[in-house]
Amino acid sequence: MAITLDLMPTEISNQGSRDAGGLVRVDRERESAAQRRKRFEGDALQYMNQLYSAALRYTKNPADAQDLVQDTFAKAYVSFHQFEPGTNLKAWLYRILTTTFINTYRKNQRRPQQSDQELEDWQIAEASSHTSDQGKSAEDVVLENLSDSDIKRALAETPEEFRIAVYLADVEGFSYKEIAEIVGVPTGTVMSRLHRGRKQLREKLTDYARELGYVQGDKK
Amino acid sequence: MSIPCSKCSESLVLFIDNEIDDSATFNEVAFHLQDCPGCRGEMESQRAALNLMRSLLTRSCCESAPSSLQEQIALRLAQIASQEMAATSQSEIITQYRRTEITIDGQTSIEVETSHEIRRDLPS
Repeated sequence: MAITLDLMPTEISNQGSRDAGGLVRVDRERESAAQRRKRFEGDALQYMNQLYSAALRYTKNPADAQDLVQDTFAKAYVSFHQFEPGTNLKAWLYRILTTTFINTYRKNQRRPQQSDQELEDWQIAEASSHTSDQGKSAEDVVLENLSDSDIKRALAETPEEFRIAVYLADVEGFSYKEIAEIVGVPTGTVMSRLHRGRKQLREKLTDYARELGYVQGDKK
Repeated sequence: MSIPCSKCSESLVLFIDNEIDDSATFNEVAFHLQDCPGCRGEMESQRAALNLMRSLLTRSCCESAPSSLQEQIALRLAQIASQEMAATSQSEIITQYRRTEITIDGQTSIEVETSHEIRRDLPS
């Protein structure tokens, strides 16, 4: 007597796995689409406000900024399986935001008036004798009186490449190396852009303060 | 003083930004700043100016994403997810095992035969 049992299907597998939730380590090979989506929503969406604020600086208008952030999250979600867990997610998202902006949104915009120059250029320029005052100058005090919209206007008027470098360094706190990866340029270029951007921004803010009557006398 | 003021001055921005990776260079600058009041004053002044700029920028640039954007993103992600689901279900792989249980004269033996992998195309 023979009994034959057909046990089918023992296992149905898509590309992801059927592992139960509660994974400590993320196994991206075996992660299901639903699990990946949950992980994306938990990890990536928390940066929405920051990315939106950055997108406003990049595009200079709310409609484009919203489109840019939406495109950024869509792209990030599609390639989220390529993101290595444990590495810098914020920098990864900023990289997508920045490259999307450069490749798409700025095409219709004017090129920055100034191009990059060698790093030595500004280093030599800065290597001057000790001229400045110590501590908080009168100028610093008056800059604090500037409104948020004045600050944003000064940043918006700073050439794009400089503006992005300053924003990433001084608002988001990225290192030169991280900015180089986000923007896709060498570290020396980041240093040059950052230095020029900071200098121009400070000059603009001082100009505004002077226009508003906060500062009297000559430019420093 | 181990390095001249000009060399310290060149590295001042990097020092303030905490971007000097090479420890020997960092020490040179740090020691020079300790010994040279002029360079130290310059460094403190530049650092104060930079900190002020940073605080002005962070104070001003902190907009929240409008709720409409949050909704649009949630919708977009849902769309991509459903497209992905449709794409993966088109190439579903079924692994089939056959187990044969044979009972002869009170003795039972079980044979597991070769498994088959079937790729099944489903309408999306």
